[in-house]
Parts: sequence; structure tokens; C-alpha cells
Amino acid sequence: MNKEIREALLFILPLMLFILFFTLIPVIGTFFVSLYRDVTFLTRKFVFLNNYVRIFRDAQFWKSTLFTLLFTLASVSIEMVVGMIFSLVINERIPLRGMVRGIALLPWAIPSVISARVWQLIYRYDYGIANYIMQHLFGVSVNWLGSYSGAFFSLVLADVWRTTPFVAIILLAGLQTVPETLYKQAKIDGANIFQRFFKITLPSIKPIIIVALLFRTIDALRVFDIIYVITGGGPGGATNSLSLYSYRYFLLGDFGYGSAISIMLFVFAFLISFAYIKLSRLKEIAL
Amino acid sequence: MKDEIIRKGMLTAGIIFLVFFCIGPFIWMIVVSLSDSPDFLVRGQYIFTLKNFIDILNIRNLHFLDYLRNSLFVAGLTSIFSATIGAFAAYAISRIDFRGKILILVSVLGLSMFPQISIVGYLYKIMSSIGWINTYNALVFPYIAWTLPLSLWLMLSYFSQIPSEIDRAALVDGANRIQVFSKIIIPIGAPGFLSTVLLLFMASFNEFLFALMLTTDFRARTIPVGIALFEGLHGEIPWGYIMAASLISSIPVILLALFFQRYIIRGLTGGAVKR
Repeated sequence: MNKEIREALLFILPLMLFILFFTLIPVIGTFFVSLYRDVTFLTRKFVFLNNYVRIFRDAQFWKSTLFTLLFTLASVSIEMVVGMIFSLVINERIPLRGMVRGIALLPWAIPSVISARVWQLIYRYDYGIANYIMQHLFGVSVNWLGSYSGAFFSLVLADVWRTTPFVAIILLAGLQTVPETLYKQAKIDGANIFQRFFKITLPSIKPIIIVALLFRTIDALRVFDIIYVITGGGPGGATNSLSLYSYRYFLLGDFGYGSAISIMLFVFAFLISFAYIKLSRLKEIAL
Repeated sequence: MKDEIIRKGMLTAGIIFLVFFCIGPFIWMIVVSLSDSPDFLVRGQYIFTLKNFIDILNIRNLHFLDYLRNSLFVAGLTSIFSATIGAFAAYAISRIDFRGKILILVSVLGLSMFPQISIVGYLYKIMSSIGWINTYNALVFPYIAWTLPLSLWLMLSYFSQIPSEIDRAALVDGANRIQVFSKIIIPIGAPGFLSTVLLLFMASFNEFLFALMLTTDFRARTIPVGIALFEGLHGEIPWGYIMAASLISSIPVILLALFFQRYIIRGLTGGAVKR
């Protein structure tokens, strides 16, 4: 082995060791555990794909999957639109821009559990401020967390609040790469502000939009914290995300089935990211 | 210029929307934390008090200060170790030519695709078998591994901006790799190192699932778990305490976000944002 490679290995070794012991081994371990009947107080038994067969027959699993996909679809698409608006705002030369950028980061900077607690209080049926506003504007109280659609909407809004700053910052990086001269030329040609946005801005930052979309989709699919706090999976298991559903089995001591569910979540996330990457390439060739 | 008026109008509306949307829930947090009871809207009477703050800082059974200390300790240790280990690896990958570096890069980033839930179950088994459940070790070691892909990615984007002629010249002059790394790369890359530490600190300060599974009480439990599981003596939700605790524990990250927004934004965008 030559000196260069030895030196390189020395620099990389700490990283490899940490990732080996605390990421790679747990991931491989989870896969193997998913092939066992591994329940606390019962003897471990190799059952091969039995846990996966059980998943296919488990109606609650498919309900969780559907909820997770709908949640991801709703929150990611709203986040992209609101994030686009935010990034356009903080990209302009506005007064106190540093301050506004800092404020825009706040919802993302605080722990997700804290934002979840605040939203949980806002949504309270009896004395939450959401119903106070609803009472004064429309004279009705909404059962935000006690009905299926209410809980779905509430979780999506809380997630949008928390993660829009992240989308805005990623898109900001894209906006700053669009050359100023393009806009000047378009103005001379008489394009209005909307035409400039749809004909210049949007096409120019398409690659970064796909990056933001990919990051957010992977992250939204594994949503756990805010649901754990705000609805705890309820009402009646209606908002159990796949992460939460898997966690419940870990909590019960059923590591085999919990692991199998978490492996399925990874498979879904992998397939969706793969599809994104494929589709975005295909479109680029078509253009 | 009709176009200019539309632009100005939309921009103003955008700023107002952004500020209200982002700050609104914080104001609510502050208002409730300073109230004697969270139901003042329906009672129609708001009584200002500092009782919630005084209580969570003084009643030892609530363990708020324990959670805060654990969080600051774990996040501080994680961010410094992870940034350093990431910097070492990023240096090798950006400066030394060797086979397999693409493979290392791809597999590290690929592993970060795995959701936390598909790691935590087995991690729990490992930690139980070595007796680390409810210790700082149970959090710091997995947190370092969990933040390393981000750390590596950020440090790589900074190091690739440092011209390699500088350190090549030093190598020719007889300096060894360790000297080049500590005397040249780290000082030049200091702003990048700082923003990496900040982002890693926030990530580990905010982490919930690992801490929920791997700790059991105030000896290692962190702020997010403490706040999620906060319960009153009679099973009711003590909103005043929760909001006061949330406010105090948000202050470090809020200050970081406001003062270092430039570094954080630069970190998140891989240095792409100027100005």
C-alpha cells in the first residue's frame, strides 16, 4: 500500500468507524431482525419473510401508508409554493434584510417538538386560539384534532410552518444564480413581472427545485415528531405515519415486525426518490 | 411604471405575510407562558405572571434544568466531534487522490437515506446490551454518526473552494499532511467550520426519536423528550410550564439563527449564496 492511500485512510478512518458502528450495523441489523420473530420474553425464531407476509395482510399498515403518502403530497406541495414566495421576498433588496432572513429561519431553527407543542395548544378545541378566531369570524368551532380531516389539515399546517424556511433557503441559492442581465433584457422586451417569473426564474432554477423537492419528500415520508406530539396518531389511528406505526411495535417489544415496517418505509422512500431522479432526467432530455 | 407598482405591492404583502406567519406562534408561546392560566381567551381575563418561569427553574421534580443541561452537553459535544471528524474525511477526499473515494462518498450519503426509525430499533438493542441506555454515550455516539453525512458534505463544499495550490506548495516545502491540515486548511476554512458546527448543533439539539428511545429519565433525557412528555402531577397538560420551558430552550437556537443567519444560510446552500 502506498503512502498516499495510507494517509487518506488515516484521515477517513474515524468517519468510517462511527458510521460503521452506529449507522451501517444498525441498518443491517434491522434488516436481519425483520426476518425473525423477535418479541421481548419470547424465544427468537427465524421466520424468513413471515413479517412481510403479515404486513401485506395488515389493513392498519396500508392505512398508515396511505396517510403517510397523502401527508407528504399535501405538505410538500404547499411548502414548495410558500417557500418559493419566501425565497423571492428574501432575495430582494428589502430594508432590514438580514433581520427578515433571520426571522424566516426561526420556525426551522427551534426543536420540532416545541413547534408541535405550540400548534397543539393553538388547535385546542375549548380554549385554543384557532377556534377563538373561527368563533369570531364564522361563529363556529372546528374539531381540529378530533376529526380525521381536521387532524390531517392541522398536521399539514404545522409541518408547513416548520419546514417552509428550509425550502426557502434552498430555493434562494437557486435564485442567486440567475443572471441579472436576463431580467434586464426581458424588461426591455416588455415582459411583465409574471412573465419574467414563469419564463425566466422558474426554468432557470428547475434543477434546484427538484433538489428541494427530493430532500423534503424523503424527510416528510419519515415524519414522526410532530405527529407523536400533536395527535399521537389519533383520532382512532387515522394519523399514524409509518414511522409512528413502526415505533408502536418497538414500544410493545415486537422488534421483528417493527423492523419490517421500517424497512418498508425505506423501500417506499427509495422508490420515490428513484422515480424523481428518473423523471427529472427524462424531462431534461425531452427539452 | 405599472409593473414596478405591482412588484412593490406584492413584495410588501410578501414581507408582512412572512413575518406574521413565522413569528405568530412564537408570540402565542410568549403570551401563554406569561399567563396564570392558558384558558384566558374563554375566561376573558388575562393575568400576567412570571410564575411559570419561576416554577420550572425552581421545582426540581420538573427536571427542566436537567433536560436543558443534557441537551446543551450532548449537542455541544456532538457538533464539535462531528465537524472535526467530517473535516478530516473531507480533507482526504478533496486533496488526496485514491481509489474508492467516490464509493465512500456515495455510501455515506446513501446511508443517510435510511429513516431514523429503521436504525433506532437495533440501536436500542446494541445500547441495552452494552449498558448504555440512559447515558450521554447512548446519544452522543449515534448523533455523531447520524450528523456525519451532513458534516462531510458541508466541509467538502468549503474545502473545494480553497485553492489546492496553497497546500501543495506547503507539502513540497516538507510539511506533512497533519501540519497542512491543522496549519493551513483549518484556519482558511474557519468560517465554514463555524457554520458546520452551528448546523450540527441545531440538528442534534432538536433530535427527538433517538433520545425518546434511548433515554429513560432526567439523567440523560434531552429537552425535546422532556417537553414532549411533560405532564402535570394530576395528568393534566401543564401548558404554562410547557410554553415557558419551550421559550427558554428556544432562546439559544433563536439567538444562533438571528446572529449567524449568514453562516447558516451559507452552510445550507453549500456556499452558493453571496451577499
